[in-house]
Formats: sequence, structure tokens, C-alpha cells
Amino acid sequence: MHTEAIDPPGVQWLRVSPKYVTVRLVEWAIGNVIMLAVLSLPLIFVLLGWWRWPPLWLAITVPAVMLVLALWRLVLIPRQVRSIGYAERDDDLLIRRGIFFQRTMVVPYGRMQYVDVAVGPVERSLGLCTLKLHTASAGTNAHLPGLPSAEGARLREQLSARGEARLAGL
Amino acid sequence: MSLENDATESLPAKPEPTVDGDWNRVHPASPFVRGWVALAAVGFFFGRDAFERMLQGRDFMDPNLSGRVPWLLAGGAVVLLLTVGGFILSWYFTRYQVAEGYVRVNTGFLFKQQRQARLDRVQAIDIVQPLLARIFGLAELKFEVADAGESAVRLAYLPLDKAKQLRATILARAAGVVSGPETTEEIPEAPEHVVLSVPPSRLVGSLLLSEQTVGILAGAAVVVAVSVFTQNQTLFLALIPGVLGIGAAYWSSFNKGYNFTAAISPDGIRLRYGLLDTQAQTVPPGRIQALMVTQPPLWRIFGWYRIHVNVAGYGVSGSTEGAARTMLLPVGLKPDVLRMMSLVLPDPGVEDPERVFTAGLDGLGPVETGSSTSDGFTTTPRRARLLAPLGWRRNGFLATKTALLIRSGRWWHTLVMVPHQRTQSMALHQGPLARRFGVADLVLHTTAGPVSPRVFQAGVEQAVELFDQQSARAREARKRQTSEQWLAQVAPQAPEVAATLTGEPAQPEPDIHPRTSPPQEERHHG
Repeated sequence: MHTEAIDPPGVQWLRVSPKYVTVRLVEWAIGNVIMLAVLSLPLIFVLLGWWRWPPLWLAITVPAVMLVLALWRLVLIPRQVRSIGYAERDDDLLIRRGIFFQRTMVVPYGRMQYVDVAVGPVERSLGLCTLKLHTASAGTNAHLPGLPSAEGARLREQLSARGEARLAGL
Repeated sequence: MSLENDATESLPAKPEPTVDGDWNRVHPASPFVRGWVALAAVGFFFGRDAFERMLQGRDFMDPNLSGRVPWLLAGGAVVLLLTVGGFILSWYFTRYQVAEGYVRVNTGFLFKQQRQARLDRVQAIDIVQPLLARIFGLAELKFEVADAGESAVRLAYLPLDKAKQLRATILARAAGVVSGPETTEEIPEAPEHVVLSVPPSRLVGSLLLSEQTVGILAGAAVVVAVSVFTQNQTLFLALIPGVLGIGAAYWSSFNKGYNFTAAISPDGIRLRYGLLDTQAQTVPPGRIQALMVTQPPLWRIFGWYRIHVNVAGYGVSGSTEGAARTMLLPVGLKPDVLRMMSLVLPDPGVEDPERVFTAGLDGLGPVETGSSTSDGFTTTPRRARLLAPLGWRRNGFLATKTALLIRSGRWWHTLVMVPHQRTQSMALHQGPLARRFGVADLVLHTTAGPVSPRVFQAGVEQAVELFDQQSARAREARKRQTSEQWLAQVAPQAPEVAATLTGEPAQPEPDIHPRTSPPQEERHHG
């Protein structure tokens, strides 16, 4: 797996399950199809002659732009999922994500206050889960989606055990 | 008074029972001081009408109501009785105790709440005196733990002496000086040494030259221009509420910042301030998570700075009170800033802290080279100067042995300091544009507060290197910090300290707070 410029050198990234693409696709569909439908309503009304405003070009442009953006996001989903990675080091956990706007985060085990495992309906049907790490900082927005359930449970236990061993105060 | 835990309460040897171990109540007058608004509202509601009638020379009561007077009076009496009764009940059922490493508070009579907070988790203790409480010689004690919401324990109100004594007891126990379950001797307040104070003239000047004033002047100029242009004079009337609001804002800043005094004691940094409402904050050593020095453009004329800090219990409330509590120095000269920084970080981890901090406050990287290290700070590489045309020579970071210093802002000079052992987690961010210029941002996550440390546009190599080294440094620093009890932590007999010492040959001094930790005996006799 290739590494990006901002990744620390010599890190072997573990990737999340490719099945997570399905979860993202469902989320994408729910979000974008509904929004596109709503945004297309003016166009339909204008075409049917019910509405005089907005003008036809505006009624076409807005949903068209949204459609292009939505398709662009759709195309990106597999690459985005592939870009999510994590690595357990001796004293901290590394999490990376993003292709255009990349983020590499390090969470020391001793700083973890608690670990959450969350499972949504789509994730459950695919046997996946989302791991969330919480530190004393609200800025630590460390969640690791699309882990196979067994791996999620293993990570949770592992992280809790390591956190306990290295626990520090604030 | 036959509640289950107060076996010792009824037979104190001294006229005033010791605060240790016993269950205590707050001052009986406190609900009235706290709820005077409710009482005043009841009085106002029933009294206003009658008062107006008397002024107008009419009957005391509305003649139409004369048949219902007894009912009205009875209703008023019931409301008053209920209010006062509620006050008395809430006072009776509010009890607190400091024992066995915990402070416990029980409140409520219908919905009971029992709360306990570990003393060694204390992040800050504040003694607050609103004006009315001050008149009665009462004070509220706030005990903060690391929960950005409300205060863990609020005791309102105690007599001022008792509040101070309770604070001393809590701090002594939290520091690990007193460990026995029952101590009969009174724990004296730790001696303190005043470090600096802010003269009122400087405070007024700082308010007049603040960003607020610049904004107001700009707004006023716009309004004047518009009114001249449109020849519409009623526009000035629209300004009146704005002027009142601005006056209130200035007044509240002045009221909060007046007579600001900072002192150092073995219990940590003590801050006192306030004109009408006074507040005394105590932040134990090592509880400051991040510190930020800023200088608005106009303050540069007089060389003034202000300091904000992140303390875990204070949170990030937008109110003026929250803003005042996170203020470590409302306005000060550079020596004041350096002194406060040395209190927060007793061991700066560099040979010449003054030069380094000065470079952090006002320094500017050289023009010619990229990623200079001439004054110690690694700045944005020259190749990225288009991304930050003003700030690229200013943006920079410097890691000392104990803290990370981040400077930024060409106009608003900003210097952020995060002690290594306080770093929670970190993230490198890089957008498409930053990738094109070969730079990245490093964000340090700290507890909620006004300071959000971020290294802007560091060269990718330096950023990744810092990211890696910083996790290592934070790890080392955390290993050295072994106990939450800040005085026990440096005592030579503590076994866990000795254990980590042998495991840490690279770190010669385990003493994280050398200036704030005199020997235990000094505490009791000082």
C-alpha cells in the first residue's frame, strides 16, 4: 500500500474492509438521491408550467450541478475508503484518511479515555463496525469506520488494555 | 439532624467544627443571596401596583378588587412561604464533606443528588464573590475537575474565611501533603508570593486599544458616512442600543479585569481580580493544558500582550465569566509575560528562555532562506510564501525539551505553548494546495478552551519529523509525570518516582515543578 508525503516513514498501514464501500454507497444514495429529487421539483413544476419562477436555465443548472457533484463524490468513494488506514505502534495508534484533504492522526494509548464500538444497520448486515476513540480533547475526532466486527472487537480490547497499561492523567 | 452520616457533627470540641470528615452545611443566608432575584420579583409583582396607587394619591387598593383582597393577600403569602420554605429546605439538604480523598456534596430533597469528586483530580479551585455575597462576607467555592461542562462542585455560599480554609484543605489533600483520614489541626493556607499586578490605567488603555475599539470605530465611520450620504439623521437613533451594548461590554471587561493580581504559591498559580464581583482562582501546577500569548496590532504601540490558557475544568463557555476565567493575564508588558510563562512552565527546556520566548512573541524569520532556524524557530519554507504572503516568515514552531512553542500572525502576534506532557493527540492536515507547495499543518489536540494550537504551513519534511518526534517527546514527558499529587510527586521517598527515575537515565531532574514545590514543612509553618 503506498504512503503519502505526510505519513510518517516506515509505517505499515492496515486498511479497512473493502465492504465499507457499500456502506458509503448507501449513505451516498440516501443523502444525494433525496436532495436531487427535492432540487429537481422546481424544474418539474416549471416544465409543467405551474411555476413562472425560477427561469428554466436556473431550474436546470442547480440540479445539474448537484448531480455532477454527487457523481464526483460517488466516483471518489472507493478511493476514499482505500485511503483510510490505521497502524498500531508500540505507544500510539495512527489513523489516516483522505485523498485531497489528507489527515494523519496519532492517538497515544495513554491518552485514551474510552473506546466506543458503534454499529449501524447497514454495517451490521455486512458484519462491519465503527471504532471511536475519545481523549480528553474534543478535537480528537478519531473514528475508524468499516472494520470487520472481529477486528473491531480485537482492537477495542487491545486498545483498552494498552491504554490501561500506559494510563496518564490529563 | 438525624441523617445517617453526621455522627461527629453534634460534638465538635471547637466552636467551629473542622472541615475534615464532618458533613457541613453552607451558610443559612445563601439561598436568599442566591435567590434574591426571585424574592425581589415576588415583592415587585405585589408591591408595584400598590406603590403606584399611593403615589397617585388614590386608595391603597384598587376599589374593584376590594372584595378579593384577602384572597390576593393569601395568595401572596403562600407564594412567599413556598419560596422561603423552598430556600430553607434546599439549604437544609445541601451538605458537603471533605474526606478520604473525596469531596462529596448532597443536594435536593425531592430529587436527591449525591456527587463526589476525587481531590487529586482537581483542575482548579475558584472562590467567587458576587457583589451581594461580598456585602454579606460570603463566597462561592467552585471545584473544577476535567469535565468541560459545569463545575463539579459548587458550594454557594460559605463565609469567606471558611471558603479559604476549605480551599486550603482541598489543595493540601490534593497535593498529597496531608494524607491522614482525620486531621484535627487546621491546615494553613499555603504562603503565596505576588508576582505581578495590572494597574487600572493600563487596563483602561488596553480596553481602548483593543480589537473591539477598532471594530467600533470602523462601524461608527460607516454609519456616519452612510448618514451623511443619505442625509438621514434618524440613523443615529439606531445606534443607541449598540452604544449601550458596547458600554456594557467595556464595563464588564473593566469590572472583570480590575485589580488583576497574579501570585505563586506551592498550590499553584493564584489569580485575583474584579471590581464589584471578585474572583480568586487557584490553578495547581501542571493543570494548564495550553497557553496563548496574543498581541492585537494596536497594543504593539505600548508593547502589551495578553495570555489565555486552557484549563480542563474551565471549558470554553462563551460568556464573559468563562472568558475571564481562561485569562491568565489581561494585559501585561513583556517581562510580565515572560514571568507568567515561567510560572506555567518552570523548566522551559532551553538555555536562554528569554531570547527564545522573545523570538516567539515578535520574531520574524529571515527573507532569503527557506525553513530558517536562525532564531530557533522553523518557519514556513520560502516556496510556500504565496500561500501565506504576510505570515510565512512569522509562522513557525520550536520544540524545547519541555514544551512546543508555536508562533503565528504577522498582525495579531500569537505565541502558543503546549507542554509536552499535556498533548492529547495530534494530526497532520494537508489539502491539495498545501500539497502543491509542499507544506502541511500540524494540529495539536488539547482540552476545550480558547487556545487551539496549530502549526501553520510547515514544510512537509519538518512537519512529519515534528509529528514523529512530538509523539515521542509527549510519551517521555508523560512517563516522568507519575502522580496527580503535585507535591507528593517530587518527594524522594515516593517509590513510583524512584522506579521511573531508574528507568529514565536520560532525564536528570524529575522535578517538573521545581519553583513551586518547597519541602512539606515550609507549608505548615509558612
